[in-house]
Amino acid sequence: MFMDPLSREDELKDKENELRKIRLAFLNILEDTEEAKTQAIGEKNKSLAVIKNFTDGLLVLNEDNKIEIISPLVEVFLGQKEEELLGKDVSRLSSRKIDLKPLKEILKVRKTKDIKSIFRKEIRLGEDLFLEVTVSHFKSGEKKGALVILHDVSRDKLVERMKTEFVSISAHQLRTPLSAVKWTLRMILDGDVGEINDEQRDLLEKTYQSNERMIELINDLLNVTRIEEGRFLYKPEPMQIEDVVDQVVGEAENAAKIKKIKIKTERPKSLLPPVTIDKEKMGIAVQNLLENSLKYTPEGGTVIISLEKKNKDVVFRIADNGVGIPKDQQARIFSKFFRGSNVIKMETEGSGLGLYTVKNIVEAHKGEIWFESKEGEGSTFYFTLPFSS
Amino acid sequence: MSKKVLIVEDDKFLRELLGKKLAQVGYTAILAVNGEEGLEKVKKDKPDIVLLDLILPGINGFEFLEKRKSDPAISSVPVIILSNLGQREDIEKGLKLGAKDFLVKAHFTPQEIVNKLQMVLG
Repeated sequence: MFMDPLSREDELKDKENELRKIRLAFLNILEDTEEAKTQAIGEKNKSLAVIKNFTDGLLVLNEDNKIEIISPLVEVFLGQKEEELLGKDVSRLSSRKIDLKPLKEILKVRKTKDIKSIFRKEIRLGEDLFLEVTVSHFKSGEKKGALVILHDVSRDKLVERMKTEFVSISAHQLRTPLSAVKWTLRMILDGDVGEINDEQRDLLEKTYQSNERMIELINDLLNVTRIEEGRFLYKPEPMQIEDVVDQVVGEAENAAKIKKIKIKTERPKSLLPPVTIDKEKMGIAVQNLLENSLKYTPEGGTVIISLEKKNKDVVFRIADNGVGIPKDQQARIFSKFFRGSNVIKMETEGSGLGLYTVKNIVEAHKGEIWFESKEGEGSTFYFTLPFSS
Repeated sequence: MSKKVLIVEDDKFLRELLGKKLAQVGYTAILAVNGEEGLEKVKKDKPDIVLLDLILPGINGFEFLEKRKSDPAISSVPVIILSNLGQREDIEKGLKLGAKDFLVKAHFTPQEIVNKLQMVLG
């Protein structure tokens, strides 16, 4: 075939142009990639910078629980250098400085169960080291892992402990002069130091009652402090809730008789499944509820305590036909020092710590508490306790 | 012969008030201000029972109980704790160390304390 030299030249030129375009395109792509790479490195550096300067301990774990990145505070908490930690399986960590068991327990949970995406728990790693551990799961593309945040709450714990000790010691110290007042008044009232006339007796009797209220108030304060201390549940054991209820009802019978209030108890004929409880604390809870019912129910009223089985819980119920709780205050009744406006007007005594204590006790037993109430008609409180496993 | 009760209590007023009450109901009250004096008087006066406070200067009530337990000469003397401590840990510790009973001062009247003494002394 005959080729025109001119058209061949054109063809070469076209090719050259094409190549030039391709080269340009390649260069552009290269530039974009370079840019993307720089950007990626920039992002990575930024994330690293954030992690490295984080004021909490931060661990990034891969899918196999191996440590990928840590923040410097982790070295301080665990007493180990970064080089020793990176790439290590968390379950194989060891430390001479602190007890790592609680931390490993938390991370084990994360591996074995499909737990919620965020998990938070407070743990004690040493004599004076308390950490709040937050485990947050992430998934980016194919990569799965977890972000573990170790937040130092030791200082808060220390302040809390000092506060608790302060209240505890003051309460015990306050009891001594109150005992002296109690004993003296009682001896005078009992005629141990000579005859007194009726007017004197009346005044002294009222003084004695005021002093008794002060003693009760201190007991309430001590109970509240112990709840807040977290060492509130003491040796919980499986037992029958019926026994606790019977004991509390037995102790209250006299007070109920004085107010002419009937206490009725209802329960299934057969024994309920046992519940794991701290008997003393559960007694305080039931006692507080019963005392409230007796205090806020007018003479001639009725209090019904019933126990029943529901799903995997025992349900405790106490119903009275007393003064009830005003609707606009119902949301606050479990808060510390709450007292209903209607009961304050009745001039009944109370510290406002009862229901707060009850709620904390029930929740420490993994139970739930709720109530129904109508002002002028009465209140019904319920709580649940899970069966012993 | 009247029964002898040793009161180990560092608060002067409480000690004397209780001493008075005990004397009134016919006991012989022996008073001690601290743990050391208490131990001395248990050995010397051989009381029938001890009312023991826990928070004391020097040897405290728990230490008093430990020393009593390890000394055969006095280990059989019954002790009732009368203290303003009263958390479950304290009560269990006291009873474990051999106390017969644990009374929280602010929760008992003098007469009720006497009733408790009578229960132990028969």
